[in-house]
Amino acid sequence: MLQELSDWLTQTPLNVVFSDTTRLETWLIIPISQTIHILGVAIVMTAVGMLNLQLLGVRVTKPSFADLSARWMPWIWSTMVVLFITGAVQTIAEPTRELMNNTFRIKIVMLLIAVAITVVYRAQVKKDAKYWERSGERRALAYALASISLVLWLGIVAAGRLIAYVGAIDEF
Amino acid sequence: MWDLLTWIDASPMAEEIRISLWLFPTLEIAHVAAIAVVLGSIARVDLRLAGLVSRDRAISDVSHEMLPWTWAGFVLATIFGVLLFVGQPMRYVEVAFFDAKIILILLAGLNMLVFEYVTRRGIGRWDRAATPPIQVRLAGGLSLAFWISVVICGRFIGFV
Repeated sequence: MLQELSDWLTQTPLNVVFSDTTRLETWLIIPISQTIHILGVAIVMTAVGMLNLQLLGVRVTKPSFADLSARWMPWIWSTMVVLFITGAVQTIAEPTRELMNNTFRIKIVMLLIAVAITVVYRAQVKKDAKYWERSGERRALAYALASISLVLWLGIVAAGRLIAYVGAIDEF
Repeated sequence: MWDLLTWIDASPMAEEIRISLWLFPTLEIAHVAAIAVVLGSIARVDLRLAGLVSRDRAISDVSHEMLPWTWAGFVLATIFGVLLFVGQPMRYVEVAFFDAKIILILLAGLNMLVFEYVTRRGIGRWDRAATPPIQVRLAGGLSLAFWISVVICGRFIGFV
């Protein structure tokens, strides 16, 4: 299925433009997209990282978890939109490099889980500001989710860089 | 200078980084993760200095919370960066983006020194100001511009 999508993307006009390395204006598209992607990763990774650390009991900032998540969620979501757009640009430019690569696929799976965890954080805290502190079980669950989230985000960064090196699926 | 680079290039460590399949990618990942921490933390401070975010919080509070992370991330990014450089020193010094990146890091550092030892003296007056004085906003804006430029140059090294 992904092979078909990759093949289809390869012959779209956008792909022709994005992957044109003969002109400077189009050659710049992939490097600039990747750079914006990195800057976006920096914002999201540190924002979610600080939320995770807060849940792990590391008091990174004065505001409470509820206050912090209220401040930063808009930034996290809007940056994720930018990350999606730049990711899409890179995928349209080089469909096979992304879609037909196991490292990329693993990265997306990790990303979906990490995003789901972040959604859960916010959904519960919106209803009850101290949701994650109310009981031993809640704190343990927060601890587990935060640990998993931290590892996942590191994995996402690692996978992102490793796409260039490993995971390509050879089609005969 | 060239002798030093040649010496580095011929060292066992450089050889190991060149021939090992996993060492260079691992160093890259560690470098990117460290940079993410530097940029993510300094962005908060700079945006607060510029009067754009967390305007209800004291500048000193935001700085105290974020700057330890910036420093830790910077030290790690530098260690991994040096190791990446060691693998192919002669190649990197010839790349304009690499030279520009180093200069921009120094400029960012200079900007931070000026802020720390000159501008910051008046902090009692504007620590809680939603919109700080112009020299403070400028320091924040310049800092962010420098660090974003560092990331741009860093990424472009890999493309030339």
